[in-house]
Amino acid sequence: MNTENFEERLRNQPLRPIPTEWREEILAATKVAVRPRRPSFDAQPHLWWRELLWPSPQAWASLAAVWLAILAVNFSTGNGSQVAAKGPQQSSPELIAVLRQHERLMVELIGPHEKPAAGCLKQFQFQPRSELRNNTLTV
Amino acid sequence: MRSESELERLYDEHAQALFAFLLNFTRHEADARDVLQEVFLKLANRPQLLDGVLEVRAFLIRLAHNQAIDLMRRRATREKNYDQLAAESETVFAPSADPDEVAFRKSLAEALGELPTDQCAVIHLKLWEGITFEAIAEALSISPNTAASRYRYGIDKLRDRLRPIYEELK
Repeated sequence: MNTENFEERLRNQPLRPIPTEWREEILAATKVAVRPRRPSFDAQPHLWWRELLWPSPQAWASLAAVWLAILAVNFSTGNGSQVAAKGPQQSSPELIAVLRQHERLMVELIGPHEKPAAGCLKQFQFQPRSELRNNTLTV
Repeated sequence: MRSESELERLYDEHAQALFAFLLNFTRHEADARDVLQEVFLKLANRPQLLDGVLEVRAFLIRLAHNQAIDLMRRRATREKNYDQLAAESETVFAPSADPDEVAFRKSLAEALGELPTDQCAVIHLKLWEGITFEAIAEALSISPNTAASRYRYGIDKLRDRLRPIYEELK
């Protein structure tokens, strides 16, 4: 069987024509599809949030649920933390006595706490640069 | 938005070729129609698609080919009886009054249906669109060598399959 003849035979087989009614149907479908639409925010105000959440509304809903849970936990534990924050400010005389005893013990163990000399602080006082240079030259 | 007259012109110039290609590729008239409509909807919605395109036919075939592959994948995952549907495929050839031609076209359509879709697509474009392997390669996103080899393999299979009826009718 000659290859070229065979291919020529195949090539000469006429193909089915496209159904004529498809032209109107397909072109009509394209007209419907591209008909100008009004902005969805004005036309369908009840649907704007769907566009906002698209394409993963479930993910957004999960995120919202997590935030709600965090808020709920925060509200439920909020009073306790405020009480805990206020607690140390109300120092009783017994607590002050215990703290002073601890301080005395610390002094006995490591000696009295020395306060920094006033002269040292003077070295770090801010001065104009010109005066600093004069001080350095003088030294 | 692409103008209506331009879409009509594109349809008149290319729809027949796209239909034949899609029918040969999908083997189903309804699928061919769906894909053809999808192609024209894309053109209508995205007029910039054809900007700078020199070979409009090759570009449209590429678009149709990609859409058809998507459709066949969706169908394959959706329908378990895909093989049964393939067996009920429709012929891509025009009817004939000559019984010999009817028999040959029936055998040819069946043989084409048995080919892998990638070989069938290349054979269709080469034989019935008459386009070069370079243009086929561009349309199907393959290399020209791949297009040529697919054509050769496909033609060899068709020749083996159709040899009895071809010799009988010669």
